[in-house]
Amino acid sequence: MMTMSNAYIEEFPAEAKVVRTAFYSAFLALALGGVFGIVQTLHRTGYYRFIDSADYYTVLTAHGVFLVISFTIFFLVGVFTWAVTTSLDRGLEDLRFTWGWYGLMAIGITLSGVAILAGFTDATDISASVLFTFYAPLQGHPMFYLGLVLFVVGTWLAGADWFRSWWAWKQENPDERIPLPTFMVLTTMLMWYIATLGVAAAILLFLLPWSLGLIDSVNPLLTRTLFWFFGHPVVYFWLMPAYMMWYVMLPKVSGGKLFSDPLARVVFVLFLILSVPTGIHHQYLDPGIAEGFKFIAMTNTMFLLLPSLLTAFTVVASMEHGARQRGGKGYFGWLKALPWRDPVFTGMALAGLMFAAAGFSGMINAGMNINYLVHNTFWVVGHFHLTVGTAVALTFMAVTYWFLPQITGKELWSRSVALGQVVLWFVGMTFMSNAMHRAGLLGVPRRTAEPQYEGFEFEAAVGSMGELQAQIALGGVLLTLSLVLFFANVFGTALNGRSDDLPANEYADALSGPEDAPLVLDNLKLWTGIAIVLVIFAYTFPLLSIIDRGGLLGPEIIPLPVFIESPALLVGAVEQLTAGTLESIRPVLEVSR
Amino acid sequence: MNIHTYEKVWLIGSMVLIVGFIVTVTYGAVGLGIAMVDDSEETIEPTELDEDERFAEPRVEQVGEDEYEAYVVAQTFMFSPDPIEIPAGSEVTFHATSRDVIHSFSVAGTNINTMVIPGEVATMTAEFDEPGEYGVVCNEYCGSGHHNMEGELHVVPEDEFDMTELEIEADDEVETGDEATIEVDVENRMLEALETTVTLEIGDEALSESVTVDGSETETTTFTIDAADLGEGDHDWTVTVDDYEDGGTLTVADELEEDDDDE
Repeated sequence: MMTMSNAYIEEFPAEAKVVRTAFYSAFLALALGGVFGIVQTLHRTGYYRFIDSADYYTVLTAHGVFLVISFTIFFLVGVFTWAVTTSLDRGLEDLRFTWGWYGLMAIGITLSGVAILAGFTDATDISASVLFTFYAPLQGHPMFYLGLVLFVVGTWLAGADWFRSWWAWKQENPDERIPLPTFMVLTTMLMWYIATLGVAAAILLFLLPWSLGLIDSVNPLLTRTLFWFFGHPVVYFWLMPAYMMWYVMLPKVSGGKLFSDPLARVVFVLFLILSVPTGIHHQYLDPGIAEGFKFIAMTNTMFLLLPSLLTAFTVVASMEHGARQRGGKGYFGWLKALPWRDPVFTGMALAGLMFAAAGFSGMINAGMNINYLVHNTFWVVGHFHLTVGTAVALTFMAVTYWFLPQITGKELWSRSVALGQVVLWFVGMTFMSNAMHRAGLLGVPRRTAEPQYEGFEFEAAVGSMGELQAQIALGGVLLTLSLVLFFANVFGTALNGRSDDLPANEYADALSGPEDAPLVLDNLKLWTGIAIVLVIFAYTFPLLSIIDRGGLLGPEIIPLPVFIESPALLVGAVEQLTAGTLESIRPVLEVSR
Repeated sequence: MNIHTYEKVWLIGSMVLIVGFIVTVTYGAVGLGIAMVDDSEETIEPTELDEDERFAEPRVEQVGEDEYEAYVVAQTFMFSPDPIEIPAGSEVTFHATSRDVIHSFSVAGTNINTMVIPGEVATMTAEFDEPGEYGVVCNEYCGSGHHNMEGELHVVPEDEFDMTELEIEADDEVETGDEATIEVDVENRMLEALETTVTLEIGDEALSESVTVDGSETETTTFTIDAADLGEGDHDWTVTVDDYEDGGTLTVADELEEDDDDE
């Protein structure tokens, strides 16, 4: 076939198929998560309730798991596969291995997803309405935990795949610096390996055996702490592909170059070493953890602001450089020279703007003592809809408009629809997250089907609860419309014919390149070592103290399988669950074989 | 490494900001005395709360002048005690634990907010200057009825606050020729002595007796009524002590049925 195009699919057709499959998997999760999102928005705000409030928590679990596990991480493996192959300019070493890890992830998330969705029907005892945090003594079906394990193992193997590419490349290019995108992939994966040890321990040592009836009880504070060992760094796992796009793609679409390659490396090294030893900041209000440990987590968290503040500078500086290359002038006049009609640029720029706002609410969350005011309130939900819900999700959707032609070889269906989509997301999220933050300050809790109580009412100093609910519902509707436009473009593009006239597969050069970066920055062993030492410092004593206080398996607790409504049925249900367990995992093992 | 001047300025500014945040939080802890929920409490067996001296009876206790302790148990899907009543102008230390899953104890619109984890006791102290009513919510998902889990915290004006409890033992039935007794235990769970009047109303009669109940003590007042004065039939009675009231019915009969003795 004759072609003039240098698109990714022409260079790496087999890898393009991997990226495409990963992206489509992510989009399926996004669609499901979006549907559950609007159902819960309308239910919670009281505008339209067609499910039982008890089922709200199944909806919420599905919304959370599908969006922050499946959508984000499937997209990540797509972006990282593109980044490694493009920046090393070589294909993956063994595509059977690649499809192997993809398959493991897909099977894993399907098992967890089925366990969650089975909560809607009484036809089966299977259920896992335990939310994304699955705190014991809430107990999900073993299939839920098993699925998560397989999914995470899949991501571990994906990391191994990328490391393999890098090692092979290094043999042939012993004196070259690690290309920036690959450097970002490798540091992020090292962080991920350390972070997932926590959740792997929580599930494999405690929650899975407990749900199978092999052990009688668990220490709720211990499994919770192990969850947050993973639960905070996972947010950087979502964020790092977005950061990578801001560093290597945004300067390019702005019309210029990345301001500084060395500082980009510094930023990713800081995330590697500081992401994990901060998890206890989610547990500021937990009894059983000493104030000193909380203080250490708080200090680490505050220093974790540094890489994000550096990113803010570099991103804005790169955009300004691009704008001036395009003829922009003046202190602020250059903003007008930016390509605002390009959905890839506008989506990422708006995502970055929202991330700045998220930074401010994040600083409040991080403040150990002011956290009392906002902990577990709707404020927190407002915060993470700005971070993962906009900084990450909107960046992913915006770059999708660049990636789709690259991985399908087809022109984007409609740039104007794409532009409308990213702006609509920004507007919708402005309404929703602003109202969520404000409601949180009134003490309105997160994670509840009906934030209205019999004995009292929340009082708003400015506006009213009704006005806040209306803003949230309006925001939710706009976000749903935005998703519809997004999927229209994904389908429309897929239905287009192949095009020979696509932009080349390129990313941004740097003004100050890798030659300015000290060699030590590429010493991954050193940074991994420091990261491990910091984790040991931050976690050894808290974990030992929790085990010393509550025991490895904790006090006697009553597991609460969340599908059982009446406590009187509990005991029978637990027995039934245990007996049914072996039957229910047998088909699982066959599938994964 | 080659760092642009502007970027250096930004870097320094960022570090100042970060250190500034840490300093303010430290000042909040050391200077303003905002303590964190921590590991100072012993662990507890969630399935044995009924035998625990603090949590068997969830309650408010006075421990000093204007100082109170509240023992709160959270369970699916309720708080006890509910409502929690405390006087304005007091300092209250809340101790909260869970009988089952993880909950929270959160007083809406205030910074009284803690996780309640089975096996652990969360302790936090707060001052209440003004009277008011607050909602208490569980802000951690605890199962299918999570949204119904609520309670109330009443801060009552200091002069209207007491911790008086009435317990009454009264005859149900007496024969016409006998006397009926109604025994009223007035418990004063405050530290200061309580001066009050116990009033019994029965039929057309009203009997009153003044009592002084010392702090953390119980006084018993016994009323004796001649059944003959009341006459045959059912007589409703009420006992009143300050704002508290309790009542029952006394039956006066010519001859009580014999099978009462068989039991």
